[in-house]
Amino acid sequence: MLKSIYYNVKKYRFLLNQLVIRDFKIKYKRSVLGVLWSILYPLLMMMVMAIVFSNMFKFSMEGVNYLVYLMSGLVIFNYFSEATNSAMISILGNSSLINKVYIPKYIFPIAKCLFVLINFVLSLLPLFLIILFSGNPAEGTKCTLNIYYLLLPFIYFCMFMFVVGVGYVLSTVAVFLRDMIYIWGIMITILSYFTPVFYSISIMPEKLQILFKLNPLYIYINATREIFLFSNCPTPLYLLICFLSGFGMLLIGLFVFKKKQNKFIYYL
Amino acid sequence: MIEIKNVGMKFNLGIEKDNSLKMMFIRLFDKKRRVKKSDFWALKDISFHVNPGDVVGLIGSNGAGKSTLLKVVSGVLKPTEGTVEVNGVISPMIELGAGFDADLTARENIYLNGAILGYSKSFLDSKFDEIVEFSELKDFLDVPVKNFSSGMVAKLAFSISTIVEPEILIVDEILSVGDIKFQEKSKNKMMSMIKGGTTVLYVSHSLDSIKELCNKAIWLENGKLVMAGDVDEVCNAYYNKIMK
Repeated sequence: MLKSIYYNVKKYRFLLNQLVIRDFKIKYKRSVLGVLWSILYPLLMMMVMAIVFSNMFKFSMEGVNYLVYLMSGLVIFNYFSEATNSAMISILGNSSLINKVYIPKYIFPIAKCLFVLINFVLSLLPLFLIILFSGNPAEGTKCTLNIYYLLLPFIYFCMFMFVVGVGYVLSTVAVFLRDMIYIWGIMITILSYFTPVFYSISIMPEKLQILFKLNPLYIYINATREIFLFSNCPTPLYLLICFLSGFGMLLIGLFVFKKKQNKFIYYL
Repeated sequence: MIEIKNVGMKFNLGIEKDNSLKMMFIRLFDKKRRVKKSDFWALKDISFHVNPGDVVGLIGSNGAGKSTLLKVVSGVLKPTEGTVEVNGVISPMIELGAGFDADLTARENIYLNGAILGYSKSFLDSKFDEIVEFSELKDFLDVPVKNFSSGMVAKLAFSISTIVEPEILIVDEILSVGDIKFQEKSKNKMMSMIKGGTTVLYVSHSLDSIKELCNKAIWLENGKLVMAGDVDEVCNAYYNKIMK
């Protein structure tokens, strides 16, 4: 079992590589600014959001750098939304290939998640620029670089596992029920309001807060905010929850996908 | 070596029908419109054995199950019943250019398609010139494949999938690609692979080319195996049947 996984990973690593490169090339083939858009797009989107929301919610967040608060949430939520959407249609989109050549099908959703991850990493660049150059020391809103930044890759890795897991479930469901593509679009919109990205969880009634805290996306966002905004180290327990939620979702996704993948071909 | 034992492949034709929520809702109330379970056996109780080095031709009319059988052997389809045992590296040429991305250039597609067929990067690097030369497309390497003619696409695909010396080659009616010169070239390539001991499963409607290339033949009809054995015997029996 382990040996065959190792063999498959080795054999198809190059294919995974090629699939990600293909998406990357196609995405920027016809645009003048090319890969620069990966940085510009999130930056401009964030600026729009910042202008809109910073005046609305500023007062509920005294002493907190609202720009950094907003951006640290946005990068994660945008990654989740973009990656799950493209992973969802990855099996459908490659149906002609799946029908003709034997390729392990699990490679398509993960290739999409990896491709969007490149954009995610690029969008961290504007985030760090904002961290460095925004804030006012007098108001205590100046963020400082600290040692706990070393924990960020771990938190983002947990987020990645979570997204891949969701991607596997969605890509499986979408094969059997094409309506899922539209349903998920609506669910993402709903989720964006129920995840404290641009508002603070403290404006919610106390009883509801616990519900919001169970949202895995909020767990990852909150862990990174602790580091960015307050230079705090998330507690080991909180990091463990990060890991377990990500890893658990990944296992669920793989299980669902594996269970159904042999039936895909009849529905493609 | 390929060992096929009692393989059956069932398709449920009903599920191909309208699967929308609207139809589900209608079916809930209207019993007449409920899809009857229309099981369709594309293959039923197929057993045969292919020795290493055999060149086996598959014949039969359209819809007999030839391509389904190839897909079962290459692992694209899991058989509903029975077992398939294949020893050796398979190179499937079921549909040429299935792995191409129209927006990418020929150069990029060689790597993408090579990866889909399971080749490694170092292998493709070392064979790149050979692929380009065989495909006769040196001047079009940096042109997106969408601007290629269908013949050019087929030439490129054929060159990529025959660059390895696979132990098992699965060929579905593709030797008629390209111009006459390329047809001759691809036939020679097939011949040299066959001489090198590659096992071949070959589907074609041209009995002449089957007789020329193969030493054994399998005749399928309506998903069932009618006859298997020496290529001349099977081809003659098939010919007599359809000409009757």
